[in-house]
Formats: sequence, C-alpha cells, structure tokens
Amino acid sequence: MMDPSEINNFEDQWRKAFQEASETPPQSVWEGIEAHLDKDDKSTIVPLWWQSPKLWYAAASIAAILLVGAGFWFSKSGESYKKMDTEIAANKMPQQKKDSNKAPTDQTVKSEEENKVLAVSPGVTTDSFVKPENKTNKNNERAAFRNSSQSFLAKNTSGNKKSEAAVDESQKIINPSSISDSERSLLAATDANDSVPEIAGQQTLVSSQALAALPYNDLEVHFQKRYIFFRPESNSEESVKPVKHKEYWAGLGLMPASFNPDLKIKEAPLAFTSNFVSNRKSVSGSSQPGASYAIQTQGGMRLSKHWSVELGVSYLQGNSSYEGGGYVLSAKNYKSANVLENALADLAPNANTPSNSYDFINGGSTYIDVSKTVSNNYQYLQLPVQAGFTINPDKKLSYSVLGGMMANFFLSNDLESASGEIITTTASDDIYRSVNWSATTGLRFNYRLSSKWKANLTGSYQKAVSSGFRSNQSLDLHPVLYGVSWGVRYSF
Amino acid sequence: MNFNEKDLVNGCKQRNRAAQKQLYDVFGGKLFAICLRYTKNRADAEDVLQDAFIKIYENIDSFRNDSPLEYWLRSVVVNTALNHLRQQKYLKDLDDIDMHHNGIADREITLGNFQMQQLLELIRELPTGCQTIFNLYAIEGYQHNEIAQKLGISEGTSKSQYARARSLLQQKLNKEKRFDDGSVRNKQL
Repeated sequence: MMDPSEINNFEDQWRKAFQEASETPPQSVWEGIEAHLDKDDKSTIVPLWWQSPKLWYAAASIAAILLVGAGFWFSKSGESYKKMDTEIAANKMPQQKKDSNKAPTDQTVKSEEENKVLAVSPGVTTDSFVKPENKTNKNNERAAFRNSSQSFLAKNTSGNKKSEAAVDESQKIINPSSISDSERSLLAATDANDSVPEIAGQQTLVSSQALAALPYNDLEVHFQKRYIFFRPESNSEESVKPVKHKEYWAGLGLMPASFNPDLKIKEAPLAFTSNFVSNRKSVSGSSQPGASYAIQTQGGMRLSKHWSVELGVSYLQGNSSYEGGGYVLSAKNYKSANVLENALADLAPNANTPSNSYDFINGGSTYIDVSKTVSNNYQYLQLPVQAGFTINPDKKLSYSVLGGMMANFFLSNDLESASGEIITTTASDDIYRSVNWSATTGLRFNYRLSSKWKANLTGSYQKAVSSGFRSNQSLDLHPVLYGVSWGVRYSF
Repeated sequence: MNFNEKDLVNGCKQRNRAAQKQLYDVFGGKLFAICLRYTKNRADAEDVLQDAFIKIYENIDSFRNDSPLEYWLRSVVVNTALNHLRQQKYLKDLDDIDMHHNGIADREITLGNFQMQQLLELIRELPTGCQTIFNLYAIEGYQHNEIAQKLGISEGTSKSQYARARSLLQQKLNKEKRFDDGSVRNKQL
C-alpha cells in the first residue's frame, strides 16, 4: 500500500506544476472564434427585421387585405369555414392533390408513410416513434438540469461545490449503453458547473428530435385539409402582390448637359425689314449648344416588380450661343442692336425696351452684316413625371428605361446685346411662355450600394413639344437637351 | 493585465466584441494549456480551445458573479475536451486494468526540476484513458466517483486507470533518470 500522504504529495506537485501553466494559442484560434461569432451576429439580424415598423405595417396591410378579401368571399358564397381553410393552406395544394386520389384508403396511406419515415431514418427518428415516453423523460431531465444549475450557484457561495444535479445528458448521446443506468439515477451527484456546456449539447439533442418529428406532423396536416383542394382560387392572394413591391425613394443628382434652345427667327424684325439684305440675312442665324447643367431632385414609387413612377424638381441652367443675323446701327442715336435682341424687343408688349425697333425705323439705320456670336442662356425650373421599367430590379446592377413628360417653368433668359450688355428677360416680361412642355426619355443604370442606397447614371434626352414663346409668329424656340446625370437615391 | 472581472463578464453578456476579445486575451493562455494536457497534438488542442470559447460566449449568461470566473472557464474547457475525446472515440473502451506491482519503489519525487513542457510531454505520452483520468484526478482534483459519472465508467475503472497512469509516469521518470538528480534532459514539445 502506498502511503496516502505520499499520494497527496505526488498529486500536489503535479497540480502545482500546472496551476499557472500557460501557452499562447496561435492567432488562428481567435480568428476562428471571431468568424463563428460574426456568423451568429448575422443570423441574429433576421429577427431584428421583424422589429422594424415597416414590416409590421406591411403585415397589417396584408392582414387587412386578407380580412376584407375573406369577408367579401364569405358574403358571396356562404361556405365560410371551407374558404378560410383554402387561404391558409393554399401553398400545400399540390401535395393534397396526390393525397386526394387516395382518399378511400387514407389510414393505410398514413401508416405506410410512417413506415417509410422509419425506414429512411432509423436513428433518432426511430426512437421518437418506438419510445415516445423517452422524449418526455428528457424534457423532465432538462428542467431538472436548469433547477440544479441554479441551486449550485447558490450553494457554491458557501463553499459547497456539490449539489443535487441531473444526469449528464451528453454522455447518453455518446455512450448509448449507459442510457438506462443514467436514466434511473436522475438525481445523481455531479459537479453542477459541468452542466453549462452539457445543457447546450442537450438542447441540440432535443431540437434534433423535434426536427425528426416534423414529417409526421406534416402528414397530419395534409390528411386533415385534403378536401379543400377543389375550392376555386381565392382572389385575395393576387391582391397582396402589389404591396410586396411597394417602395419609395428620394434621389439627388447633377446632370452635365448639352442644351440647344433651337432658337429660330422666322421673319425679320421690324428694324431689319428696311432693306433687302437685312431682311434676308436676319433670318439666317442659328443656335449653338453650350455646356449646361441641371441640379435634380426626385421622388419615386415602385409600383410592381418592374414598374415605377417618379416625379422630380430640377433647376436647369441652359447655356447656348446664337450666331449670325448681323445687327443694325441707328442713325439717330447711334444705338446698335443685334437681330435677336431686336426680335425680342418686337415681341415685348410694352414698347419701352432699349432695342425697340422704332428707334431704328424712325431715325433711319444702317444694317451691318457681321456674323457675330452672342451668348443666349436660359434658366428653367423643370418638373418631370416619368414612368420607368426596370430590368433586374433586385440585382446589384439594374437598368431602367424611362419615359414621360416635363413641365419647364421659365425663370429667365440672359441675352448678350450688340453692345456687350446682358439683357435679362424674366417670366414677368410676358415674352416667353411661363410653362413649356417637353417630352423626355432616358436610360438609367442603378448600382445598389446597400439595402437603402443606390448610385445611378442616367442618360437623358429632352425635346420641347411646344414653342417657348408666347407668340411664335416671328420667333421659335424648341429647346433640346442631352445630358448624363450622376445621382444617388435612398429607399424607404 | 488590469481588468475588472465583473465588467468583463457584463461586456461578454452584452455580446461586446472588445470584451470577448479581452476575455480571450486574459484567459486564453491558461485555458490553452489545459487543452494541451487533454489532447495528443496542438491541432486538436486548438480545436478544443476554439469550441470551448464559443461555448463560453454562448453560455456566458448562465455565469453568475458569485463564483470565480476562472473556475467556471476551466470547467467549460475540461468538459469540451472530454466531449472532443468522446467524439474521437478515445474514451470508448476504458476497462479495469489488473495492476501488478511494477517493482518500482514509490519514492518521493520532486517535479521542481522539470519544466512544464517536459511534464506536459510525459502526460501526453500516456494512453488516452490514463491521460484523461490522470488530468481529472491529479490536476483538476475531481474524485473518482465524479470522474466515473463524467465518463460513464465505473469508479473501479477510474481508480485502476489512474493507478496505471501514475505507474507509467513513474516509469518514465525513472527511465529518464529524472529523479531529484537534476539531470534534466531538455525535450522539445
């Protein structure tokens, strides 16, 4: 026999040797743990979605539609109970069809399918069928576990490391031979601290049993609801679909553009009608596009999977130049005026504008045939209304084809005069139409940055469908714009 | 490292990643040493440590501050190691060993001259059953009846396996003449 004091000495030495033992684990261990934790975090995001008010609104509206639809349906037919089942079990119809063919022998079918389950998964599933009381026992044990781990913690404060605890469940999984022994000794003594990881293992066991039992439950559901297959399709399912795709967004963009007002002088202004050359030459000028830009805001609504509608407010700075036409020089006061300013002056309802033709007609004037280029810039406030059809709507990169109308509210026009001054015409001068309509079309590339944000690039073409002047007898204005808009949008 | 154990646990309960990392940094080394004792190679020990920390983070809510944190962490690691051994079927056939006296006198030994790595190597050279029971009894301080419960074996098996482990360790120490004479041969882990 060994001396007990010697044994203690032996063990104490080993214990002492390893008491403070430490070895730095490699970096890869923490990386593995972190990867697992990240995975857990991601999976917990899903329930958070259910906390968002938006989803509750959607759920509430679906429920309301279903309720209204169901009420409508009941009032129509009167077979209310059967109809309700139809809606609930709509997605299980194909399987029910199969079952319905076997209606007279349903009990036989059921037992046959149970046998199939037994044959396919002889493991845990078999246990749940053969020994149904087994599951109940384990549930009891699990409850005992929880109680015991709590009581342990209470007892541990007073220095007592032991407590009454339930059987180590995980041992049963690994060692099937010990199951019966350990079940009999439900309240065996063990270190209750051990129960923490073992509870985790036990939960896995319980949940796997629940999974294994699922096919059996499914069979029951099919059997009970088989008769409803012959009900006509409910309309309420279809009415829910538009709700699913409804989405609102707001966007902001900047569009560098090429703007051409396509301004034409159709007949010579009064001051230019005095001789043949000026009369002919004055209408030969043309507009050249200039570098322009538009600042765009927009709001949109997704109507269905592919279709959407959007409204916007944009500020357009349309720069252009006008070349040719020559100018006239007044003999009376040496005032000069180019063809465009003179033409505009003719359109003005009040005759007090600086380039009024009467100065040139009454006092006599000289026409100077010089092809000079003058700047002619416009500012518009645009309100587009467009419909969009989107391809790949839920993919990272989607494409939209846009088309619609645009109301252009005239703000001002800056025209360079013959003397180099800028003549500003505003909406209150009643020369330009306050609203000018144009058609617009475009192609947009959407790139999804996140679930809420998208970046987009839109190629746009706008063409006026009506003249920009109140009177289009002598002057015509049909602006055309090509632009590429860079923008972002936020979905709600 | 300075840390407040209570704050650390609360941080982990709130799934705070910084707190989780700090817990790992503070206790990872000691717990890895335990994993090394229960396994045969570093790769297995790393697997056990990783699994143990995942369990620790998942079950931290069940830890109450009225018991020492390190004690709880160690018990989780030991149980994880035992689960690992069970999964690898290392603990499948643990039988009673008919011990006969090996003729080696039960001399008083001093392990003070040995480095931890050398002692660890001696433990890892034991058969898995002996290694596990030696760890549980001699170092963790469990009683044989507790070990029997944990491993699903009889108390007698636990005792005989331990006696075998003790005997083998003494043989190894004797063979390498490591008794008290200070002639320690450095051995790489």
